[in-house]
Amino acid sequence: MTAKKILCATIIIVCSMNCFAQQQKQNAIANLYSINNVGLIEGEAGSAFQLETINGLKYKSWFAGVGLGLDFYRIRTVPLFAHIRKEFGKTVNRFFLFGDAGIDFGWRTDKETKQFPVNDKLKNGFYAQAGAGYTFRLSPVNNLSFSLGYSYKTLTEFGSNYTYIGYGAEAMPVKDSKISYHLNRFVIKAGFEF
Amino acid sequence: MVLLTLIIAFTGCMKDKIRYTYQISTPIYEPLTKFRESIKSTPAISISTPGKIGVFGKYIFMSETGVGIHIIDNSDPSNPKNISFINIPGNQDFAIRGNAMYADAYSDLVSFDISDPTKVITKNFDANVFPYNSIYFYGSSTDPDSINAIVGWSTRDTTVDYSPNNSGRVYPVVFSGCPNCYTLAAVPTAYSSTVSSGVVTGTNGSLSRFTIINDYLYTVDYSNLNTYSIANPFQPSYSNQVMVDYHVETIYPFKDKLFVGTNNGVYMYDIQASPGNPVLNGEFTHMRGCDPVIADNNYAYVTINDSSACLGFNNELQVVNIQDLNNSFLVQSYQLTHPIGLSKDSNNLFVCDGKDGLKVFNANDVNNLQMIADLKDAEVYDVIAMNGLAIVLAKNGLYEYDYSDISNIHLIGKL
Repeated sequence: MTAKKILCATIIIVCSMNCFAQQQKQNAIANLYSINNVGLIEGEAGSAFQLETINGLKYKSWFAGVGLGLDFYRIRTVPLFAHIRKEFGKTVNRFFLFGDAGIDFGWRTDKETKQFPVNDKLKNGFYAQAGAGYTFRLSPVNNLSFSLGYSYKTLTEFGSNYTYIGYGAEAMPVKDSKISYHLNRFVIKAGFEF
Repeated sequence: MVLLTLIIAFTGCMKDKIRYTYQISTPIYEPLTKFRESIKSTPAISISTPGKIGVFGKYIFMSETGVGIHIIDNSDPSNPKNISFINIPGNQDFAIRGNAMYADAYSDLVSFDISDPTKVITKNFDANVFPYNSIYFYGSSTDPDSINAIVGWSTRDTTVDYSPNNSGRVYPVVFSGCPNCYTLAAVPTAYSSTVSSGVVTGTNGSLSRFTIINDYLYTVDYSNLNTYSIANPFQPSYSNQVMVDYHVETIYPFKDKLFVGTNNGVYMYDIQASPGNPVLNGEFTHMRGCDPVIADNNYAYVTINDSSACLGFNNELQVVNIQDLNNSFLVQSYQLTHPIGLSKDSNNLFVCDGKDGLKVFNANDVNNLQMIADLKDAEVYDVIAMNGLAIVLAKNGLYEYDYSDISNIHLIGKL
């Protein structure tokens, strides 16, 4: 639920920021800048989509901001992270390196909640990404970017289990269980920036 | 495209690390003879996992799921006192009449003399009468010296790496059995004590699976309604068994009727003609869900909840017209959060709505129940309302509400 609220608040903030960004680009040295990516995650568990919006300040070849995403790999999560990016080159199209680090909020789907209520608690985890990419200028204020990177997220689920040895399973006391996920993935992203 | 191909090609290098930490419990056994000797009164212990509830005179009996029964002196409802405990491994249910209490200990039916509730005396064991709950009568022998029973569990922590080939999440192994046998999630409420032949019968909560009418003890198991004669109080004798349905959960007595709640509906049995041989008199089916039921002269009140053990998806209170048991029909449904046990006193209907607390309705017009009180003091499962006092079984113990002034229901005691 927390993840849901953060997501809604972010959408509103991003929309507001984008309006400001368009107005300020002409004069300010450090400009408001927005990166909005859609990504494909590939890992041991297969493919999954990722969405993210990163908003912050761009100063010369540096950009720093705060991002919020949706990550559907294995367990749906909402990463909230700090983002930094360094661009290289003097042409309008540039190579860049980026890094993210932040908190990964678990956000169970209704289906999972209904079907598997035993995993009744989620503990937020860690989220990080790093990679490289290339931006193409579409117009003086709009860019298109493609990037490739490594992505890592963690999450912990707490529940109950009835692991049983011997006869008499019916009477076995309920015990706690913990499942820790450490998920390593590749991610390829396409983004619209303004 | 080249990039994508490279990524997919190198995906094999990316490994997820999933660690599953859990506890393995291994049973500790001892001979059944010795095990039975442990079934006796002990000093009071703290309430940990409340199961079911019953009232007998000034005492409240509350089961500690799978462990035994707490005896609570409720002479002063504002200050209930946990005075004693009866150690009964494997216990889920009980019923009381006069000085006799009947309780299950795994698959045994145990008769107790409770003349002195602090020093109950074990009088009799009827072996393996609840075979669905048997943990030691797994062979042909019934000799208690040659049979081992579980008396405890040895638990150790274990952590393993999990290497799933699928793309989903990891789900712990869960054995889901009879929903009302071992968990609070499906337990029922109490009724007023009745007196017949000068002998007082205790009042059980709506989640009970044992009940007594006159000289008969009625119990339900996974699929059957069982009848025992208790004319000789400490020597119950098997009388009859009736197949009801699968997923039987609760039994509720009203006058000469028995209302049996199941996952799929309510079955109504008549015992007027032959108390030892209940006869099916009517049934009412509903959508699947955990289902305690109570009744009065004209209506049955059924709660349905979505506990996973019952595979249900609805949470509602249903009022069913039972004036003609052969033609019972739904009168009205009311959406609730997670209704479980319930009780009715006069026109006041008490419904335990799980984490949403105790709700009290004016049931004068069943087509339009009016909520009188919404008491969110605890996560509640079952309630016995009688004589202006609502005794409520909660996840964390016992709550008592004074409703002698229905417009001012208030908490007066807790344990």
